[in-house]
Amino acid sequence: MTKAQAKAVFYWGTALSTIILLVLTYNSLGQLPKRTNQQMLTAEVAQGKWVWQKHNCNDCHTILGIGGYYAPDLTKEMAHRDPGWVKNFLKDPEKIFPSGRQMPNLHLTDGEITGLVAFLGWVNGIDTNNWPPKPFAASVPVQGENPGEAVFRAQGCSSCHLLDGIGGHAGPDLTRVGARRSSQWIEEQLKNPKSHNPDSIMPGFAKLPEKDIEDLTSYLAGLK
Amino acid sequence: MKYESQKVAYKYFLFATLLFALQVVFGLLTGAKYVWNFDPLIHILPFNTSRAIHINLLVVWLLMGFMGGAYYLVPEEAETEIYSPWLANFQLYLFAAIGVAAIAGYIAGWSWGMPFLEQPTILKAGIVVVALLFLYNIFMTMLKTRKWTTIQGVLLGGLVLLAVMFLFGVFFMKNLATQYYFWWWVIHLWVEGAWELVTAAIMAFVLLKLTGVDRERIEKWLYIEVGLVLFTGIAGIGHHYYWIGTPGYWLWVGGIFSALEPAPILLMVADTLKDVRDRKAGITNRIALYWAVGCAVMHFFGAGVWGFAQTLPQINKWTHGTQVTASHGHFAFFGAYAMLNLTMVYFALPQIKGLKEFSQRLGFKAFWTMNFFMIMMVLSLTVAGVVQVYFQRIMGLDYLTTQGYMRLWYAAFGASGLGFAAGCLMYVVDFFRLGKSTAKS
Repeated sequence: MTKAQAKAVFYWGTALSTIILLVLTYNSLGQLPKRTNQQMLTAEVAQGKWVWQKHNCNDCHTILGIGGYYAPDLTKEMAHRDPGWVKNFLKDPEKIFPSGRQMPNLHLTDGEITGLVAFLGWVNGIDTNNWPPKPFAASVPVQGENPGEAVFRAQGCSSCHLLDGIGGHAGPDLTRVGARRSSQWIEEQLKNPKSHNPDSIMPGFAKLPEKDIEDLTSYLAGLK
Repeated sequence: MKYESQKVAYKYFLFATLLFALQVVFGLLTGAKYVWNFDPLIHILPFNTSRAIHINLLVVWLLMGFMGGAYYLVPEEAETEIYSPWLANFQLYLFAAIGVAAIAGYIAGWSWGMPFLEQPTILKAGIVVVALLFLYNIFMTMLKTRKWTTIQGVLLGGLVLLAVMFLFGVFFMKNLATQYYFWWWVIHLWVEGAWELVTAAIMAFVLLKLTGVDRERIEKWLYIEVGLVLFTGIAGIGHHYYWIGTPGYWLWVGGIFSALEPAPILLMVADTLKDVRDRKAGITNRIALYWAVGCAVMHFFGAGVWGFAQTLPQINKWTHGTQVTASHGHFAFFGAYAMLNLTMVYFALPQIKGLKEFSQRLGFKAFWTMNFFMIMMVLSLTVAGVVQVYFQRIMGLDYLTTQGYMRLWYAAFGASGLGFAAGCLMYVVDFFRLGKSTAKS
């Protein structure tokens, strides 16, 4: 190959790839409003995005899978979080996760918190081509699994509660909860956690179908 | 060294060296937060601040190295003095001042909040001024003699692309998906576009001078390599558009183009080795040669192999957003860019200081120590990432529980980081030792 031919490889290769990028960019930008529910992108969401940036959240948390790997990805966080719980959490994260790897209190104002929650709620609606993937273990029905156990898993209860040594530490260990609490108490707790403790940080699950609440209650009451 | 004004490169290398060391210090602090769950610095230097400083220092020291490299290279290629050495110095101090302001700002909680582009907008404006001054000075130097060598052309093309792409990361966009779409135009088109051009030009220059092989051959391969880098790299941006809200066809575009990305890097390795084998000059500066060949090899493994391993959508779906990405980040930035700068420093510094011969013992110790421990860091982080993918993504355990299973590998990563820091310290000492050697020459 001569130098002139090498030069041609350079120019044509670069031009071709650039054209592909520009054409697809034009097309992608046309599709993004629909794929990201832009009509739901309110002033509050935009303000929340700025709160997200101003406090440099992205250097601990990934979002859309990009950023720091020190804290959970927040792309689909609002799919399984109660907005009230998140607001409560953001008020004082150190109180809710008092030990282990911690999030510092950012001293956000109520307005900032509302914006941030609206922003995360909007991000949850972005069509991410099904990312993050559903875990294999969750998509394969476990043989003979208790239906309540499936609800426990689907609602992400283990984010806060330990069960047989696996799970989070924000709430009490549920390994033998059936030995301590009656079915009725558990059901009340699930529907309205503040009924037993007005300061409870647990989100209420009254929004779940009655069948799920019943299954979950009988599963937890059976843990003895 | 043929021109007096090439000496301005020395100050750039000095600043780059100091910032490299500082980057490693912040790397250790950031890594320690993974190893120990208790963080005594959480209210002074929380993880996000520490990481922001770590990655900003990386970018700044690499850019300073590139600028120093350009100021050293261009006079020899253009066969004239730098247009304005005063401007070159001024531009360095301005850049350094902006860097100090940015870091102080992060610690005080002043941030723009997009990773790597955390600099508040006013500082970004300052960075644009620095870039314009630099480009002006370089371009005017080239214009003095109008000797448009391929090396100069590729270097200038890379530097202009670098500056232009930065503009896509300056503006606030309400839509996070759009913001990230163009954020990648900065980050990806830098590391797999503009920076590749700059480093390919610098590497071609160093190999030309070190090995004495034919310029025609070096420049021909330079065209082919950067042509393939841009052909695969520009559309290869698609591998960042799998999961950020962009249409599904990016899975195809990204997958196909980025599967080709290792090819030009492999070509660079083969080309470098061939140049060394066919050398026409006796190479006394063996340490520069080691960095050059090491750079080609580590570039291939870090960017090529570790990148390829997770670039296909079927795999990326599971690894995206885990420590697997971080392992590739460390490996590729070190192999492709940190080592390129160290190559240029070891090539240029003895010449700037007029040293015909110099002791290379400490340099070699630094070379092997840094390389060995970087590989250990990368392997530790890769295992941590695989553990994360398995427990979190495949088994569905929650994030923090999974982190608990990764701690052994975080500890291995941290310990290897200390080893790397020792290697970096040897380099810093060696840099000052060489820098002070002028009196004897």
